[in-house]
Amino acid sequence: MSGTSTKRKTDLLDYAGKIGHSDMGATDADGNHKLGFSDRSSKPKKGDPLAPYQMPLTQEEQDIMDGKQGEELAKVMKIVVAHGNAFNAEKLVDLGGAPHSSLFTGQDYLMPIIDMFQKCADAGLKAYAPYTVNPRCYDVYNVNNNAKDLKVIYELYAVQRELDWVHVQLGAPDLNLRSCACYVDEVGNRPPPGTYVAWAESSAVNYGNSALGLRTNRNASGMELLCALLGKAPLFGLMTDEGRMSTWLVDVKTTKEPDWGVLGTAIGLKVVDANPFITGIDKYLGTEVSNDNMHLLKKMGSATASSGAVGLYHVENITPDAKEKGRNLLKEGYQTYVFDDKEQARVLATYPTDFPDRPKDPTVAIIGCPHNTYKEILDWGTWVTEAIEKKGLEKPAIPTRLLCANVVRDRLVKEHPELVGKMTAADMRFSNMCSLSYVGMKDFSEDMFAVTNSAKTRNYYGFAQYLKDEPLIETIVSGKIPEGA
Amino acid sequence: MAKKTFKGRPLIPGNLEGKALASKHPFNVSASYMENLFGGNTKTAPCTDVVNKEWAGKNLAGQILCFPTGVGSTMGGASLMGVGSMGLGPKAMLYAQHVDSVSVAGLIIDNVWNEHNVITIDQLGDEFLNTVKSGDPISIHEDGTVEVG
Repeated sequence: MSGTSTKRKTDLLDYAGKIGHSDMGATDADGNHKLGFSDRSSKPKKGDPLAPYQMPLTQEEQDIMDGKQGEELAKVMKIVVAHGNAFNAEKLVDLGGAPHSSLFTGQDYLMPIIDMFQKCADAGLKAYAPYTVNPRCYDVYNVNNNAKDLKVIYELYAVQRELDWVHVQLGAPDLNLRSCACYVDEVGNRPPPGTYVAWAESSAVNYGNSALGLRTNRNASGMELLCALLGKAPLFGLMTDEGRMSTWLVDVKTTKEPDWGVLGTAIGLKVVDANPFITGIDKYLGTEVSNDNMHLLKKMGSATASSGAVGLYHVENITPDAKEKGRNLLKEGYQTYVFDDKEQARVLATYPTDFPDRPKDPTVAIIGCPHNTYKEILDWGTWVTEAIEKKGLEKPAIPTRLLCANVVRDRLVKEHPELVGKMTAADMRFSNMCSLSYVGMKDFSEDMFAVTNSAKTRNYYGFAQYLKDEPLIETIVSGKIPEGA
Repeated sequence: MAKKTFKGRPLIPGNLEGKALASKHPFNVSASYMENLFGGNTKTAPCTDVVNKEWAGKNLAGQILCFPTGVGSTMGGASLMGVGSMGLGPKAMLYAQHVDSVSVAGLIIDNVWNEHNVITIDQLGDEFLNTVKSGDPISIHEDGTVEVG
């Protein structure tokens, strides 16, 4: 099988830097070049770091490597072991819970990966458990339901069918569960603390390691699914006690509740890929991770992963590792970063607010990157519809895209049907697509001026304006960004 | 220039002679191949990472790339496989530091699954990166030895 070749040819050099900014661009808020990836090894290196390394394998693992369970699984084992050897992994560990895959973009360049997994499916391989997958890049029902968008989508995502079909065969059949926030109750991929998994998707890895206490590395797209087929992953990095230690103490000293997105962005820029130990925010969160505060951790954490490459953070008195070990997680010689009102203002000031190549006023509000929790869509539905009623308006000035898994939306329809009716009238449209793909999709995003409460979306795209919740509500209703927002 | 020798760890070994394309900026893989991944270019691989002043606009296809380490999106490994399948991937990836887990994943998958070998050596050291300049002749040996000059 081979992908159809797209015929699009664009002058991307002018465009690069404006779309597709990816996690860990290796520059700080001032544009200074930074190196990251300082915390890779599972243990302090002993002996010659250049010496060849071979992790010990059990007899069963060696048998798989030798082809006793088929050629395809042998290759899968060889890849996973070679990858582990590169990081001096101690051994392979059995995975629990369920996988989460970030293979979601059905574009031509992904065909080598799709072909590989199709061969695995043809050989009868399956993931060790039914798994979740990132959302599709588009939504042809609720958002992209017009000829212009469809043309772009069917050219750009020409092999989406092949990718989706591979996922179905390997163990992810339900597209209603597609979400980057696989850990919300309604999607249900939230294994217990301490479970070894091999997840991909930077925000899910970040949340899983930190708020759920899972043990996963920040896997490359494709590697997570190879580990899922094997049911094993190499033990190194963030999966180990040593690799979960902190080299940074982040002391939050704002005079009131911090802007979670700005705080996350600031942390990522400062610590890059280290594991920050964050103090001073538990008073805003409570005593444990819950459905009432998970959206705040999600917002902060995803920003640390998109402005830097943070795969794990600890929050004093809140997150599982921190509750268990406290400040013993801090390594000797750790550095301290103070985040106070002045620092918050400094980082916020680095966010652009002038977009000369965009429409003068906002055209759409994007809420849900990473995907919304149930609480978030309930809150936003309530806030916006009440704000409209208060002003005596029939409709807001601009539409709102609320991004979440279909099953999260379905719960709101079931529990608050009247509110959903009001939300529909208020041009608040649910979609299970990916915010980043939508906001940055070339050939139609240029006509868009998006406002968002997602620091992750803003960190990817300099042309989306970040707003706190209150000014964002005002902007949705009036179509104008309030002064000083 | 006088020939200098550096020793690294050969993860995907091989022998090769050619000219270096060097950068002191980390290699943001996904951001560098956007014209190939999204723009339909299947002829050349101009670096689209505008933050990387040393490589922006330069053709990365078939090069011996010398850089500190890889950074960027977790799609980086798949991106390398994608450009490789177009015949536009690098011939060698020479990391001054330890490999990052993302880019090396794509190189290993391609090596084992497709028998497509991009020579990969890491931990060549900061001195290697301070020495090598774009256009320098470079010899790579199977044991991880790299000669510059």
